[in-house]
Amino acid sequence: MDWRRFGIIALVIIILFSAVVLIGKSQNSPIVIITSMLATTIAVATPLTLGALCGIYCERAGVVNIGIEGMMLGAAFFGWLASIYMNTLFHFSLMPSVIVGVIVAVLTGGLFALLHAALSITFKVDQIISGTVINILAIGITGFLNRQMFFGSGSVFGGNVPSAPGVLPSIRIPLLADIPTFGRMFDQQPITIAALVLVFVTHYVMFYTRWGLRTRAVGEHPRAADTVGINVIRMRYANVLIGGCLAGLGGAYFTLQSVPSFQPLMTNGRGFIALAAMIFGNWSPIGAWLAALVFGAAQALQINLQFFRELIPPQLAFLQNAYVVGLAPYILTMLILTGIVGKTIPPAADGIPYEK
Amino acid sequence: MRQPTEPFEASPSSLRRFLHAALDAMLVPLLAVLTAILVGGIIITLVGGNPFNAYRGLFGGAFGSLKALSETAVWATPYIFAGLAVAVAFKGGLFNIGAEGQLAFGAVAAAWVGYALPGLLTTDLPAFIHVPLAIGAGMLAGAIWGAIPGALKAYTGGHEVINTIMMNYIALNITSFLLNGPMRDPDPLNLSARTPEIAASAQFQPPFEGLRFHWGFVLALVVAVIIWWLVWKTTIGFEIRTTGANPDAAKYAGINVKRTIVLSMALSGMLAGMAGAIEVTALNYRHELGFSVGYGFDSIAIALLGKNHPLGVVLAAILFAAMRNGATRMQFLTQIPIDIISVIQGLILLFVAADVIVRYIYRVRAREDRVVLTRGWGG
Amino acid sequence: MKKLYFVMAAVLVASMLLTACGGGGGAATAPDCTKSDVFCAGLVTDTGKVDDKSFNQGCWEGLQAAKTAGDADWIQYVETTDSKDYDKNIAIFTDAGYDVIVTCGFNLTNQTYEAAKKNPNISFIGVDQFLLQDDAHPDLPLANLTGLVYNEDQSGFLVGALGAWVSKSHKLGGVAGTDLVPPVWRYGEGYKAGAAYADQMSGTTTEVTVVYHSDVGFDKTFDDPEWGATTANSMMDKGVDVIFGIGGKTGNGGVIAAAQRGLYGIGVDADQYFTMTEAQSRLLSSAMKPLPPPIAELIKAAKAGSFPGGLFFGPAGYAPFHDLDGEVSAEIKAQMEELLAGILDGSIKTNVPPVKPAE
Repeated sequence: MDWRRFGIIALVIIILFSAVVLIGKSQNSPIVIITSMLATTIAVATPLTLGALCGIYCERAGVVNIGIEGMMLGAAFFGWLASIYMNTLFHFSLMPSVIVGVIVAVLTGGLFALLHAALSITFKVDQIISGTVINILAIGITGFLNRQMFFGSGSVFGGNVPSAPGVLPSIRIPLLADIPTFGRMFDQQPITIAALVLVFVTHYVMFYTRWGLRTRAVGEHPRAADTVGINVIRMRYANVLIGGCLAGLGGAYFTLQSVPSFQPLMTNGRGFIALAAMIFGNWSPIGAWLAALVFGAAQALQINLQFFRELIPPQLAFLQNAYVVGLAPYILTMLILTGIVGKTIPPAADGIPYEK
Repeated sequence: MRQPTEPFEASPSSLRRFLHAALDAMLVPLLAVLTAILVGGIIITLVGGNPFNAYRGLFGGAFGSLKALSETAVWATPYIFAGLAVAVAFKGGLFNIGAEGQLAFGAVAAAWVGYALPGLLTTDLPAFIHVPLAIGAGMLAGAIWGAIPGALKAYTGGHEVINTIMMNYIALNITSFLLNGPMRDPDPLNLSARTPEIAASAQFQPPFEGLRFHWGFVLALVVAVIIWWLVWKTTIGFEIRTTGANPDAAKYAGINVKRTIVLSMALSGMLAGMAGAIEVTALNYRHELGFSVGYGFDSIAIALLGKNHPLGVVLAAILFAAMRNGATRMQFLTQIPIDIISVIQGLILLFVAADVIVRYIYRVRAREDRVVLTRGWGG
Repeated sequence: MKKLYFVMAAVLVASMLLTACGGGGGAATAPDCTKSDVFCAGLVTDTGKVDDKSFNQGCWEGLQAAKTAGDADWIQYVETTDSKDYDKNIAIFTDAGYDVIVTCGFNLTNQTYEAAKKNPNISFIGVDQFLLQDDAHPDLPLANLTGLVYNEDQSGFLVGALGAWVSKSHKLGGVAGTDLVPPVWRYGEGYKAGAAYADQMSGTTTEVTVVYHSDVGFDKTFDDPEWGATTANSMMDKGVDVIFGIGGKTGNGGVIAAAQRGLYGIGVDADQYFTMTEAQSRLLSSAMKPLPPPIAELIKAAKAGSFPGGLFFGPAGYAPFHDLDGEVSAEIKAQMEELLAGILDGSIKTNVPPVKPAE
């Protein structure tokens, strides 16, 4: 374990939170502020965490994936579409519609991943180009279908824009959620909880199972793995598909958990930040999750600085420009990546097509 | 070091050989474009549109009149620069996803020189000095923003893909800050996040009354020729290409690989910065937030479609510009959403990248020219 | 093999050109708008789509209303994808001989002004465009150019007072697009002023926080529902129980988040009870800025030859309480009626300037 890196992450989060508490303490009590910041951080980190886990499965198996953004965007759209279909055309009620939506989102992520796998593993297309293809295709397909299906006389809904049934309700973790003020943190929506669970599942799978051992072997030294009888191609396909499904779940966060509506380009670059979180966390699930929390905390900070805008002392007026603090996570990622702060060690065969 | 000899020296059969090679190189991209257009037509039919009317609208909107041609050229200009930027980096074995950020910084720098410099110097500048200064500032800003990830790659091994993505976000945030703060147009009538208008002396005046066509397009073509000469005909170009093709071999050949990597990225960033600077000096006369959205990815598609060759890049850029420009008229005539263009562009890229598919459909033999650009993220 | 190659390439190039220029019957069903007996109305959107359930859609519904009423024979829209295309998109309609061109959004102010000067025979309706004579627009007012504007601060004022009276925690929140757009800023300031007015009347103290999404470009600021929801949630975690969503899908996201928590949401522009069904059950009201009726009215005037020119003010108001009618006391309803009357006859002022003063 790289404790220095975790130390840096913890320090960054503490600094961000303290700044907000100091500024806002005349309007809200510190506990309220910290709880609200934490709730925002955890919620916002959800798609980043899932995207980073997608990256980990792919890259641990030796396939670079910069198409996470496109996978999430496609999943967000098709999951949302499925929930509307279920609700409007088949008259399912809220929960079944949304659950079908989540399943479709996960499968969409998987489908995009299949394309990425086929291009990069079978056809040996450069993996970054393949990822770029997925990103551009996802933007085009979702934008086009979004218009074509919901607007104009030719749409399946006859020109009426139907509303989505809604979003996943939040789950109150018994007892913990009943704690006054702090309880809010344990009142989270299902995908957020699933992401948390999946972090530890992935950690276990990667480092304590035969599957994980084989995956890492394929990503570190495919030739050696091949000689001991591991099917390199199959392992890579399987891991990319698993990763795609996780990215799909991350896409569901946008349209089935956060808001019941789709917007072209709504993932807003979160797939790339997830990639950064993965590198920041040195390709380890727990590290990537903590890194996602740093990015989430930075966003929580931006929102809270605007909320407390009128309370910011004049000598700190530059903080009113949310952009200034928004830079921190990106710069930190670059510093980590370049070895100036900590060191990253990617899987040795990451990005290299395997040829027998 | 000896100049590398090019395969096509002047000789009786060279023209035929050149045409042959050119056609050979262009065949797969052409087939990819055609296939994408056909698939796009099928999609339009499936959603109840008439593909012929749609494509006719698209074509008319892109090339149907003097005005349409002018607008296509206006769109093509930043595409050519940005496409060349990505292509040059590719030639050096580097993947520049940061064109968007480099372009934005180029635009900001050009705008600053354009509106603030005369005041700082307390003198008016003649246009023949001010315009090149503004464009030069944009090139410099882009070059620096490109050289940083290049240097990080060369000296620390940090992969340029992640670094350029991160630097896109950093550039976006800094630009937002500047355009909302220190560089914001102070005119009380101004309501946008934009810079003041650049001085008249920094404005590259358009040649034709009533058309937005500007000299930037011509400049883009000239730069494409210069880049071709630089990359294929000079020692520097040879070093860039050799480093891109095989860094180990380049090292043994005595090439300073690290320096070449920084140089490739700086050159790439400079071209992207130029795209931004031209948009400011020749078209918008100021920089406004959010105007460059999407150039980053489009430029990658253009470079790939153009096979990283300047001529190919120019053609691909004009194709993309024509589609973007003609789409409005297509929608006007047929009510087919503009977004179909993004689908077609995605398909083009898919078919170019996975040329196996195209080669299989059309039974075209493969030439061994596969590029592997990603060798891990570097640790 | 080699020959096959060439033949195929030639065929492909030829077929490409054919696909591009050839084929097909009549291009579209559009009538010839240059004829004097065919009355055509066109819409140029701001960067955004006509199905945004918000501003651009409201403009388009205005044209549709004019067509339904028989005041336009043919209507058409062009969506702007890039702000540098405003001129080009307006020119599509002027070139096609349209009789009325509606430009939707204050961003198109200058382009509409220039086009109106160049085309004196075409009537232009500039929605949200505060077209007053100044250095940049010396020729105003023009007889063929009408700026359709609203006092958004008045509508914001009304829902601000309503929110302050209904809120149990006396904390109000607003989730808005960028305050660089004056109507958005006027809504937000009116909201604050309305809450302060209500405080004065009932002796309460209400905290109002409006957060603007100004940290992104124009392409995103109104189209980021996820940011809206996240921001609203952060506010509600701090005790806010009324969320006013100002501007496009960003605001909608905030209102929907409030509805999910069972708190109060307030819509904007149209009565969003009908357009944002996700939040229906918890939608308290909407700050009204009805776009379609005045647009249809102006198109009708253009056809009748009585186009006003200058500035045309649309009405202010608030939407009915719908499902939450039972949660608003009779006393508050009466106060709201009184307030609306006072706003409309000018006896109650919001004291919000039309544009944000420079800092």
